Amino acid sequence: MNQTLRIKRFSKLDRLFHLSLMVTFLIQAATGFGRIYATAGWGQKVCNVFGGYDNASLVHHWVGGLMMAGFAIHLLYLLSRIRWNNLWQSLFGPDSLIPTLQDARHLWQRLWWFFGLRNAPKLDRWAYWEKFDYWAVFWGMPLLALTGVMMLYPFWTSQYLPGWSLNIAGLLHRAEAILAVSYIFIVHFFIGHLRPTSFPMNQAMFSGSVILEEVEEEKPAWVERLKKEGRLDTVAAKAPALWYKVIYFIFGYVALATGIYLLIMGIAYSGQVRLH
Amino acid sequence: MVGLKHLRHIVLMLVTGVLLLPEAVQAQEEVTSAIRRYKQYEQSTGYYEEYEAKPRRQRPLVGVPGVSQGLFPYSPFGAEVRNRSRLADSHQGIKFYDRRRCEECHVKETMDIHTVRANLTCRQCHGGEPIASLEHYYSPLNPIRKHAFVCAKCHEGASASYAAYVVHEPAPGSSDARRAFPGLYYAYWFMILLLAGTLAFFIPHSFFVGLRELLRKKRKGEK
Repeated sequence: MNQTLRIKRFSKLDRLFHLSLMVTFLIQAATGFGRIYATAGWGQKVCNVFGGYDNASLVHHWVGGLMMAGFAIHLLYLLSRIRWNNLWQSLFGPDSLIPTLQDARHLWQRLWWFFGLRNAPKLDRWAYWEKFDYWAVFWGMPLLALTGVMMLYPFWTSQYLPGWSLNIAGLLHRAEAILAVSYIFIVHFFIGHLRPTSFPMNQAMFSGSVILEEVEEEKPAWVERLKKEGRLDTVAAKAPALWYKVIYFIFGYVALATGIYLLIMGIAYSGQVRLH
Repeated sequence: MVGLKHLRHIVLMLVTGVLLLPEAVQAQEEVTSAIRRYKQYEQSTGYYEEYEAKPRRQRPLVGVPGVSQGLFPYSPFGAEVRNRSRLADSHQGIKFYDRRRCEECHVKETMDIHTVRANLTCRQCHGGEPIASLEHYYSPLNPIRKHAFVCAKCHEGASASYAAYVVHEPAPGSSDARRAFPGLYYAYWFMILLLAGTLAFFIPHSFFVGLRELLRKKRKGEK
Protein backbone atom coordinates (compact mmCIF):
# COMPACT_ATOMS: atom_id res chain seq x y z
CA MET A 1 0.00 0.00 0.00
CA ASN A 2 2.34 2.65 -1.19
CA GLN A 3 -0.46 4.73 -2.65
CA THR A 4 -0.81 8.40 -1.83
CA LEU A 5 -3.54 8.82 0.75
CA ARG A 6 -6.46 10.99 -0.26
CA ILE A 7 -9.30 12.37 1.81
CA LYS A 8 -12.74 13.42 0.68
CA ARG A 9 -13.40 17.15 0.49
CA PHE A 10 -16.50 17.61 -1.66
CA SER A 11 -19.49 15.32 -2.02
CA LYS A 12 -20.90 14.44 -5.44
CA LEU A 13 -23.73 16.91 -4.90
CA ASP A 14 -21.31 19.70 -3.94
CA ARG A 15 -19.44 19.11 -7.17
CA LEU A 16 -22.64 19.00 -9.17
CA PHE A 17 -23.64 22.37 -7.71
CA HIS A 18 -20.26 23.83 -8.61
CA LEU A 19 -20.35 22.33 -12.10
CA SER A 20 -23.81 23.65 -12.91
CA LEU A 21 -22.87 27.02 -11.47
CA MET A 22 -19.78 27.08 -13.70
CA VAL A 23 -21.74 26.32 -16.86
CA THR A 24 -24.61 28.70 -16.15
CA PHE A 25 -22.29 31.45 -14.93
CA LEU A 26 -20.16 31.31 -18.06
CA ILE A 27 -23.23 31.37 -20.30
CA GLN A 28 -24.65 34.31 -18.35
CA ALA A 29 -21.33 36.12 -18.51
CA ALA A 30 -21.05 35.60 -22.27
CA THR A 31 -24.64 36.49 -23.14
CA GLY A 32 -24.61 39.38 -20.68
CA PHE A 33 -21.35 40.78 -22.03
CA GLY A 34 -22.67 40.32 -25.55
CA ARG A 35 -25.59 42.55 -24.67
CA ILE A 36 -23.55 45.16 -22.79
CA TYR A 37 -21.12 45.43 -25.70
CA ALA A 38 -23.74 45.05 -28.43
CA THR A 39 -23.08 48.56 -29.74
CA ALA A 40 -19.37 47.84 -30.00
CA GLY A 41 -18.57 45.30 -32.71
CA TRP A 42 -17.31 42.71 -30.26
CA GLY A 43 -20.64 42.30 -28.46
CA GLN A 44 -22.31 41.48 -31.77
CA LYS A 45 -19.80 38.69 -32.34
CA VAL A 46 -20.38 37.25 -28.89
CA CYS A 47 -24.15 37.42 -29.42
CA ASN A 48 -23.78 35.67 -32.78
CA VAL A 49 -22.44 32.63 -30.97
CA PHE A 50 -25.87 32.36 -29.40
CA GLY A 51 -27.73 33.22 -32.58
CA GLY A 52 -27.87 36.99 -32.49
CA TYR A 53 -28.84 39.67 -30.00
CA ASP A 54 -32.42 38.52 -29.44
CA ASN A 55 -31.50 34.89 -29.00
CA ALA A 56 -28.68 35.81 -26.65
CA SER A 57 -31.25 37.65 -24.54
CA LEU A 58 -33.52 34.64 -24.61
CA VAL A 59 -30.68 32.36 -23.53
CA HIS A 60 -29.78 34.84 -20.78
CA HIS A 61 -33.34 34.79 -19.44
CA TRP A 62 -33.75 31.02 -19.50
CA VAL A 63 -30.34 30.27 -18.05
CA GLY A 64 -31.10 32.88 -15.39
CA GLY A 65 -34.21 30.85 -14.57
CA LEU A 66 -32.09 27.72 -14.35
CA MET A 67 -29.70 29.47 -11.98
CA MET A 68 -32.57 30.53 -9.77
CA ALA A 69 -33.88 26.98 -9.70
CA GLY A 70 -30.40 25.76 -8.80
CA PHE A 71 -30.20 28.32 -6.03
CA ALA A 72 -33.57 27.19 -4.65
CA ILE A 73 -32.43 23.55 -4.69
CA HIS A 74 -29.21 24.60 -2.98
CA LEU A 75 -31.23 26.33 -0.23
CA LEU A 76 -33.20 23.13 0.36
CA TYR A 77 -29.92 21.24 0.46
CA LEU A 78 -28.56 23.66 3.06
CA LEU A 79 -31.65 23.16 5.21
CA SER A 80 -31.23 19.41 4.94
CA ARG A 81 -27.64 19.69 6.08
CA ILE A 82 -28.43 21.45 9.34
CA ARG A 83 -28.28 19.06 12.27
CA TRP A 84 -31.02 20.38 14.51
CA ASN A 85 -30.01 18.34 17.57
CA ASN A 86 -26.59 19.97 17.51
CA LEU A 87 -27.47 23.33 16.03
CA TRP A 88 -24.60 25.44 17.35
CA GLN A 89 -21.89 23.06 16.21
CA SER A 90 -23.65 22.51 12.91
CA LEU A 91 -23.82 26.25 12.19
CA PHE A 92 -20.58 27.55 13.66
CA GLY A 93 -18.43 24.44 13.80
CA PRO A 94 -15.37 23.92 11.58
CA ASP A 95 -17.33 21.98 8.94
CA SER A 96 -19.71 24.91 8.44
CA LEU A 97 -19.16 27.67 5.91
CA ILE A 98 -20.47 30.38 8.22
CA PRO A 99 -17.70 32.89 8.99
CA THR A 100 -16.65 33.09 12.62
CA LEU A 101 -14.31 35.18 14.71
CA GLN A 102 -11.65 32.54 14.09
CA ASP A 103 -11.67 33.47 10.39
CA ALA A 104 -10.95 37.12 11.22
CA ARG A 105 -8.02 35.96 13.39
CA HIS A 106 -6.73 33.75 10.59
CA LEU A 107 -6.95 36.62 8.12
CA TRP A 108 -5.06 38.90 10.48
CA GLN A 109 -2.37 36.30 11.10
CA ARG A 110 -2.03 35.61 7.39
CA LEU A 111 -1.51 39.29 6.60
CA TRP A 112 1.56 39.14 8.86
CA TRP A 113 2.55 35.81 7.35
CA PHE A 114 2.68 37.42 3.88
CA PHE A 115 5.74 39.32 5.09
CA GLY A 116 7.16 36.40 7.02
CA LEU A 117 6.50 38.07 10.36
CA ARG A 118 4.34 35.35 11.86
CA ASN A 119 3.65 31.66 11.31
CA ALA A 120 0.92 30.64 8.91
CA PRO A 121 -2.48 30.27 10.62
CA LYS A 122 -3.60 26.69 11.23
CA LEU A 123 -6.51 26.59 8.83
CA ASP A 124 -9.38 24.18 9.21
CA ARG A 125 -11.50 22.66 6.47
CA TRP A 126 -12.76 25.96 5.04
CA ALA A 127 -10.36 28.88 4.94
CA TYR A 128 -11.69 32.44 5.19
CA TRP A 129 -11.18 33.16 1.47
CA GLU A 130 -13.08 30.01 0.57
CA LYS A 131 -15.92 31.13 2.82
CA PHE A 132 -15.83 34.52 1.13
CA ASP A 133 -16.09 32.84 -2.29
CA TYR A 134 -19.14 30.95 -1.16
CA TRP A 135 -20.99 33.89 0.42
CA ALA A 136 -20.15 36.27 -2.39
CA VAL A 137 -22.02 33.98 -4.76
CA PHE A 138 -24.71 33.32 -2.20
CA TRP A 139 -25.66 37.00 -1.92
CA GLY A 140 -24.86 37.88 -5.50
CA MET A 141 -27.30 35.40 -7.00
CA PRO A 142 -30.49 36.68 -5.30
CA LEU A 143 -29.54 40.26 -6.15
CA LEU A 144 -29.00 39.36 -9.80
CA ALA A 145 -32.15 37.26 -9.82
CA LEU A 146 -34.32 39.94 -8.27
CA THR A 147 -33.09 42.78 -10.47
CA GLY A 148 -33.14 40.49 -13.51
CA VAL A 149 -36.75 39.47 -12.95
CA MET A 150 -37.66 43.11 -12.37
CA MET A 151 -36.26 44.05 -15.77
CA LEU A 152 -37.68 40.97 -17.45
CA TYR A 153 -41.20 41.88 -16.32
CA PRO A 154 -41.17 45.68 -16.27
CA PHE A 155 -44.97 46.05 -16.39
CA TRP A 156 -45.44 43.78 -13.44
CA THR A 157 -42.65 45.54 -11.54
CA SER A 158 -44.10 48.97 -12.19
CA GLN A 159 -47.38 47.86 -10.66
CA TYR A 160 -45.71 47.57 -7.29
CA LEU A 161 -42.75 49.91 -7.57
CA PRO A 162 -42.32 53.18 -9.42
CA GLY A 163 -40.89 52.84 -12.91
CA TRP A 164 -37.62 54.49 -11.95
CA SER A 165 -36.82 51.46 -9.81
CA LEU A 166 -36.02 49.82 -13.15
CA ASN A 167 -33.19 52.30 -13.64
CA ILE A 168 -31.76 51.23 -10.29
CA ALA A 169 -32.38 47.54 -11.01
CA GLY A 170 -30.47 47.88 -14.28
CA LEU A 171 -27.56 49.54 -12.54
CA LEU A 172 -27.43 47.00 -9.73
CA HIS A 173 -27.70 44.06 -12.13
CA ARG A 174 -24.89 45.30 -14.29
CA ALA A 175 -22.62 46.37 -11.42
CA GLU A 176 -23.11 43.11 -9.53
CA ALA A 177 -22.45 41.16 -12.73
CA ILE A 178 -19.23 43.07 -13.38
CA LEU A 179 -18.20 42.52 -9.78
CA ALA A 180 -18.89 38.78 -9.99
CA VAL A 181 -17.17 38.40 -13.33
CA SER A 182 -14.07 40.30 -12.30
CA TYR A 183 -13.84 38.49 -8.97
CA ILE A 184 -14.24 35.03 -10.51
CA PHE A 185 -12.03 35.64 -13.53
CA ILE A 186 -9.25 37.32 -11.58
CA VAL A 187 -9.21 36.16 -7.97
CA HIS A 188 -10.97 32.80 -8.11
CA PHE A 189 -9.09 31.68 -11.22
CA PHE A 190 -5.78 32.72 -9.70
CA ILE A 191 -6.47 30.77 -6.54
CA GLY A 192 -7.75 27.75 -8.46
CA HIS A 193 -5.20 27.60 -11.26
CA LEU A 194 -2.25 29.94 -11.04
CA ARG A 195 -0.89 30.06 -7.52
CA PRO A 196 2.10 27.73 -7.07
CA THR A 197 0.34 25.12 -4.89
CA SER A 198 -2.60 24.90 -7.30
CA PHE A 199 -0.84 25.15 -10.65
CA PRO A 200 -1.80 23.90 -13.20
CA MET A 201 -5.19 23.26 -11.63
CA ASN A 202 -6.69 22.70 -8.20
CA GLN A 203 -8.53 19.46 -8.84
CA ALA A 204 -10.38 19.14 -5.53
CA MET A 205 -13.66 20.54 -6.89
CA PHE A 206 -13.71 17.96 -9.69
CA SER A 207 -12.10 14.88 -8.18
CA GLY A 208 -13.80 15.51 -4.85
CA SER A 209 -10.73 14.51 -2.88
CA VAL A 210 -7.39 16.00 -1.88
CA ILE A 211 -4.01 14.42 -1.23
CA LEU A 212 -3.50 14.05 2.51
CA GLU A 213 0.10 15.18 2.41
CA GLU A 214 -0.82 18.42 0.66
CA VAL A 215 -3.75 19.17 2.85
CA GLU A 216 -1.70 18.56 6.00
CA GLU A 217 0.39 21.49 4.94
CA GLU A 218 -2.40 23.85 3.90
CA LYS A 219 -5.19 22.85 6.29
CA PRO A 220 -3.35 21.35 9.30
CA ALA A 221 -6.19 21.94 11.76
CA TRP A 222 -8.59 19.92 9.61
CA VAL A 223 -6.33 16.85 9.43
CA GLU A 224 -5.55 17.16 13.14
CA ARG A 225 -9.24 17.26 13.95
CA LEU A 226 -9.94 14.23 11.75
CA LYS A 227 -7.12 12.31 13.40
CA LYS A 228 -8.29 13.25 16.88
CA GLU A 229 -11.83 12.16 16.12
CA GLY A 230 -10.49 9.01 14.50
CA ARG A 231 -12.38 9.78 11.30
CA LEU A 232 -9.40 9.78 8.96
CA ASP A 233 -10.24 6.33 7.63
CA THR A 234 -13.89 7.14 7.06
CA VAL A 235 -13.05 10.07 4.78
CA ALA A 236 -10.41 8.20 2.77
CA ALA A 237 -11.04 8.48 -0.96
CA LYS A 238 -9.86 6.87 -4.16
CA ALA A 239 -7.83 8.71 -6.76
CA PRO A 240 -9.87 9.91 -9.75
CA ALA A 241 -9.76 7.77 -12.89
CA LEU A 242 -7.45 8.97 -15.62
CA TRP A 243 -10.18 9.44 -18.25
CA TYR A 244 -12.11 11.54 -15.77
CA LYS A 245 -9.02 13.60 -15.05
CA VAL A 246 -8.51 14.26 -18.75
CA ILE A 247 -12.10 15.43 -19.09
CA TYR A 248 -12.04 17.82 -16.18
CA PHE A 249 -8.67 19.26 -17.15
CA ILE A 250 -10.00 20.07 -20.60
CA PHE A 251 -13.23 21.41 -19.14
CA GLY A 252 -11.40 23.51 -16.54
CA TYR A 253 -9.13 25.03 -19.13
CA VAL A 254 -11.99 25.78 -21.52
CA ALA A 255 -13.72 27.61 -18.66
CA LEU A 256 -10.50 29.42 -17.79
CA ALA A 257 -9.93 30.47 -21.39
CA THR A 258 -13.52 31.66 -21.79
CA GLY A 259 -13.30 33.71 -18.64
CA ILE A 260 -9.97 35.30 -19.46
CA TYR A 261 -11.16 36.06 -23.00
CA LEU A 262 -14.32 37.77 -21.74
CA LEU A 263 -12.36 39.69 -19.13
CA ILE A 264 -9.67 40.97 -21.46
CA MET A 265 -12.06 41.85 -24.28
CA GLY A 266 -14.44 43.42 -21.78
CA ILE A 267 -11.70 45.69 -20.50
CA ALA A 268 -10.44 46.43 -24.01
CA TYR A 269 -13.87 47.49 -25.28
CA SER A 270 -15.03 49.19 -22.08
CA GLY A 271 -14.29 52.60 -23.58
CA GLN A 272 -16.72 52.04 -26.43
CA VAL A 273 -19.87 51.45 -24.41
CA ARG A 274 -21.53 53.13 -21.48
CA LEU A 275 -21.10 50.67 -18.65
CA HIS A 276 -23.04 53.18 -16.57
CA MET B 1 -98.06 47.29 -55.65
CA VAL B 2 -94.43 46.32 -55.96
CA GLY B 3 -93.94 43.61 -58.50
CA LEU B 4 -91.61 40.65 -58.36
CA LYS B 5 -89.26 42.44 -60.78
CA HIS B 6 -88.97 45.44 -58.44
CA LEU B 7 -88.33 43.18 -55.48
CA ARG B 8 -85.49 41.53 -57.38
CA HIS B 9 -84.02 44.95 -58.13
CA ILE B 10 -84.20 45.99 -54.51
CA VAL B 11 -82.51 42.79 -53.34
CA LEU B 12 -79.82 43.16 -56.00
CA MET B 13 -79.17 46.78 -54.94
CA LEU B 14 -78.96 45.81 -51.30
CA VAL B 15 -76.46 43.05 -52.05
CA THR B 16 -74.35 45.37 -54.21
CA GLY B 17 -74.51 47.98 -51.49
CA VAL B 18 -73.32 45.54 -48.85
CA LEU B 19 -70.48 44.43 -51.07
CA LEU B 20 -69.35 47.90 -52.12
CA LEU B 21 -69.81 49.85 -48.92
CA PRO B 22 -67.10 49.75 -46.27
CA GLU B 23 -67.42 47.00 -43.70
CA ALA B 24 -69.86 47.53 -40.95
CA VAL B 25 -68.09 48.66 -37.79
CA GLN B 26 -68.04 46.15 -34.99
CA ALA B 27 -69.91 47.42 -32.02
CA GLN B 28 -67.47 49.01 -29.59
CA GLU B 29 -67.47 47.09 -26.38
CA GLU B 30 -67.84 49.06 -23.24
CA VAL B 31 -64.66 48.93 -21.21
CA THR B 32 -65.49 48.55 -17.58
CA SER B 33 -62.42 46.69 -16.42
CA ALA B 34 -59.25 48.25 -15.12
CA ILE B 35 -57.49 47.39 -18.38
CA ARG B 36 -57.05 50.53 -20.38
CA ARG B 37 -56.83 49.81 -24.06
CA TYR B 38 -54.66 52.57 -25.30
CA LYS B 39 -53.90 50.89 -28.57
CA GLN B 40 -57.57 50.81 -29.37
CA TYR B 41 -57.94 54.48 -28.53
CA GLU B 42 -54.79 55.33 -30.41
CA GLN B 43 -56.28 53.85 -33.55
CA SER B 44 -59.54 55.67 -33.09
CA THR B 45 -59.13 59.23 -31.89
CA GLY B 46 -55.88 59.58 -29.99
CA TYR B 47 -57.88 61.51 -27.45
CA TYR B 48 -57.96 60.60 -23.79
CA GLU B 49 -60.15 61.80 -21.02
CA GLU B 50 -58.26 63.09 -18.07
CA TYR B 51 -59.41 60.25 -15.85
CA GLU B 52 -58.30 57.74 -18.44
CA ALA B 53 -54.73 58.87 -18.46
CA LYS B 54 -54.17 59.47 -14.78
CA PRO B 55 -53.28 56.39 -12.77
CA ARG B 56 -56.46 54.89 -11.41
CA ARG B 57 -55.35 53.22 -8.28
CA GLN B 58 -52.51 54.29 -6.09
CA ARG B 59 -50.21 51.85 -4.40
CA PRO B 60 -48.10 53.08 -1.51
CA LEU B 61 -44.73 52.53 -3.15
CA VAL B 62 -45.69 53.76 -6.59
CA GLY B 63 -45.08 57.42 -7.13
CA VAL B 64 -45.28 59.06 -10.51
CA PRO B 65 -43.22 62.24 -10.66
CA GLY B 66 -45.43 65.09 -11.72
CA VAL B 67 -48.63 63.25 -10.95
CA SER B 68 -48.35 61.92 -7.45
CA GLN B 69 -45.61 61.34 -4.98
CA GLY B 70 -45.38 57.88 -3.46
CA LEU B 71 -43.66 57.10 -0.20
CA PHE B 72 -40.33 57.38 -1.96
CA PRO B 73 -40.54 60.14 -4.53
CA TYR B 74 -37.67 59.72 -6.92
CA SER B 75 -36.57 63.22 -6.37
CA PRO B 76 -37.54 66.07 -4.18
CA PHE B 77 -36.78 68.25 -7.17
CA GLY B 78 -37.98 65.92 -9.90
CA ALA B 79 -41.39 67.43 -10.34
CA GLU B 80 -40.42 70.99 -9.59
CA VAL B 81 -40.85 73.79 -12.02
CA ARG B 82 -37.69 74.23 -14.01
CA ASN B 83 -36.84 76.86 -16.52
CA ARG B 84 -38.94 76.47 -19.61
CA SER B 85 -40.72 73.50 -18.11
CA ARG B 86 -44.21 74.84 -18.67
CA LEU B 87 -44.06 76.45 -22.09
CA ALA B 88 -46.19 75.51 -25.05
CA ASP B 89 -43.06 75.82 -27.16
CA SER B 90 -40.09 74.95 -25.03
CA HIS B 91 -37.62 76.29 -27.59
CA GLN B 92 -39.39 79.58 -27.95
CA GLY B 93 -37.03 82.47 -28.47
CA ILE B 94 -33.93 80.43 -29.26
CA LYS B 95 -32.01 82.12 -32.03
CA PHE B 96 -31.71 80.33 -35.38
CA TYR B 97 -33.67 77.48 -33.86
CA ASP B 98 -34.77 76.14 -37.24
CA ARG B 99 -31.15 75.82 -38.30
CA ARG B 100 -30.02 73.83 -35.32
CA ARG B 101 -30.04 70.15 -34.42
CA CYS B 102 -31.29 68.65 -31.15
CA GLU B 103 -27.96 67.05 -30.24
CA GLU B 104 -26.10 70.35 -30.46
CA CYS B 105 -27.54 71.24 -27.08
CA HIS B 106 -28.87 67.92 -25.75
CA VAL B 107 -25.66 65.92 -26.00
CA LYS B 108 -26.17 63.62 -23.03
CA GLU B 109 -29.71 62.83 -24.10
CA THR B 110 -28.46 61.14 -27.26
CA MET B 111 -26.42 58.57 -25.35
CA ASP B 112 -28.93 56.45 -23.49
CA ILE B 113 -30.28 53.02 -24.37
CA HIS B 114 -33.34 54.28 -26.24
CA THR B 115 -31.16 56.21 -28.67
CA VAL B 116 -28.09 54.01 -28.82
CA ARG B 117 -29.76 50.58 -28.75
CA ALA B 118 -33.20 51.10 -30.25
CA ASN B 119 -31.98 53.87 -32.60
CA LEU B 120 -34.88 56.12 -31.73
CA THR B 121 -34.77 59.67 -32.95
CA CYS B 122 -35.75 62.57 -30.72
CA ARG B 123 -38.89 63.21 -32.76
CA GLN B 124 -40.24 59.73 -32.26
CA CYS B 125 -40.98 60.56 -28.64
CA HIS B 126 -40.85 64.31 -28.44
CA GLY B 127 -42.92 64.89 -31.56
CA GLY B 128 -42.85 67.63 -34.17
CA GLU B 129 -42.62 71.39 -33.72
CA PRO B 130 -43.48 73.07 -31.50
CA ILE B 131 -42.15 70.77 -28.80
CA ALA B 132 -44.04 71.58 -25.64
CA SER B 133 -42.34 71.59 -22.27
CA LEU B 134 -42.79 68.46 -20.20
CA GLU B 135 -44.93 70.24 -17.65
CA HIS B 136 -47.06 72.06 -20.16
CA TYR B 137 -50.57 70.83 -19.61
CA TYR B 138 -51.19 69.71 -23.17
CA SER B 139 -47.78 68.22 -23.82
CA PRO B 140 -47.85 64.56 -24.86
CA LEU B 141 -44.87 64.05 -22.54
CA ASN B 142 -46.64 65.48 -19.52
CA PRO B 143 -46.38 62.72 -16.90
CA ILE B 144 -50.16 62.54 -16.61
CA ARG B 145 -50.39 61.09 -20.12
CA LYS B 146 -46.85 60.32 -21.24
CA HIS B 147 -47.36 56.57 -20.73
CA ALA B 148 -50.37 56.53 -23.03
CA PHE B 149 -49.26 59.07 -25.62
CA VAL B 150 -45.59 58.17 -25.93
CA CYS B 151 -44.41 55.02 -24.10
CA ALA B 152 -47.35 52.84 -25.18
CA LYS B 153 -46.46 53.37 -28.83
CA CYS B 154 -43.82 50.67 -28.36
CA HIS B 155 -44.40 49.37 -24.83
CA GLU B 156 -47.98 48.30 -25.16
CA GLY B 157 -49.75 48.44 -21.82
CA ALA B 158 -47.43 51.03 -20.26
CA SER B 159 -48.78 52.52 -17.05
CA ALA B 160 -48.04 55.90 -15.54
CA SER B 161 -45.75 54.23 -13.05
CA TYR B 162 -43.97 52.37 -15.85
CA ALA B 163 -43.45 55.67 -17.61
CA ALA B 164 -41.65 56.99 -14.54
CA TYR B 165 -38.64 55.05 -15.84
CA VAL B 166 -36.01 57.72 -16.39
CA VAL B 167 -35.12 57.50 -20.07
CA HIS B 168 -32.51 60.25 -19.95
CA GLU B 169 -30.68 59.01 -16.88
CA PRO B 170 -28.22 61.41 -15.30
CA ALA B 171 -24.67 60.03 -15.01
CA PRO B 172 -25.23 57.91 -11.89
CA GLY B 173 -22.15 59.05 -10.00
CA SER B 174 -22.60 62.75 -10.67
CA SER B 175 -23.85 65.49 -8.41
CA ASP B 176 -26.71 65.87 -10.91
CA ALA B 177 -27.83 62.38 -10.02
CA ARG B 178 -27.43 63.07 -6.32
CA ARG B 179 -29.85 65.97 -6.63
CA ALA B 180 -32.28 64.60 -9.19
CA PHE B 181 -32.12 60.82 -8.68
CA PRO B 182 -30.62 60.03 -5.25
CA GLY B 183 -31.57 56.32 -5.39
CA LEU B 184 -29.47 55.80 -8.48
CA TYR B 185 -26.62 57.88 -7.05
CA TYR B 186 -26.36 55.91 -3.81
CA ALA B 187 -26.84 52.54 -5.55
CA TYR B 188 -23.99 53.46 -7.88
CA TRP B 189 -21.55 54.52 -5.19
CA PHE B 190 -22.44 51.54 -3.02
CA MET B 191 -21.66 49.16 -5.88
CA ILE B 192 -18.50 51.03 -6.87
CA LEU B 193 -17.19 50.88 -3.31
CA LEU B 194 -18.08 47.20 -3.08
CA LEU B 195 -16.33 46.47 -6.38
CA ALA B 196 -13.26 48.56 -5.64
CA GLY B 197 -13.07 47.33 -2.05
CA THR B 198 -13.34 43.65 -2.99
CA LEU B 199 -10.77 43.87 -5.76
CA ALA B 200 -8.48 46.20 -3.83
CA PHE B 201 -8.35 43.65 -1.04
CA PHE B 202 -8.35 40.36 -2.91
CA ILE B 203 -5.98 41.15 -5.78
CA PRO B 204 -3.05 42.07 -3.49
CA HIS B 205 -4.12 39.22 -1.20
CA SER B 206 -3.86 36.73 -4.09
CA PHE B 207 -0.58 38.25 -5.16
CA PHE B 208 0.95 37.79 -1.73
CA VAL B 209 -0.41 34.24 -1.46
CA GLY B 210 1.24 33.42 -4.77
CA LEU B 211 4.50 35.11 -3.85
CA ARG B 212 4.71 33.46 -0.47
CA GLU B 213 3.98 30.00 -1.87
CA LEU B 214 6.55 30.51 -4.59
CA LEU B 215 9.21 31.43 -2.04
CA ARG B 216 8.32 28.51 0.22
CA LYS B 217 8.54 26.08 -2.70
CA LYS B 218 11.95 27.39 -3.59
CA ARG B 219 13.13 27.05 -0.04
CA LYS B 220 11.99 23.44 -0.05
CA GLY B 221 13.89 22.83 -3.24
CA GLU B 222 17.04 24.23 -1.67
CA LYS B 223 16.86 21.72 1.13
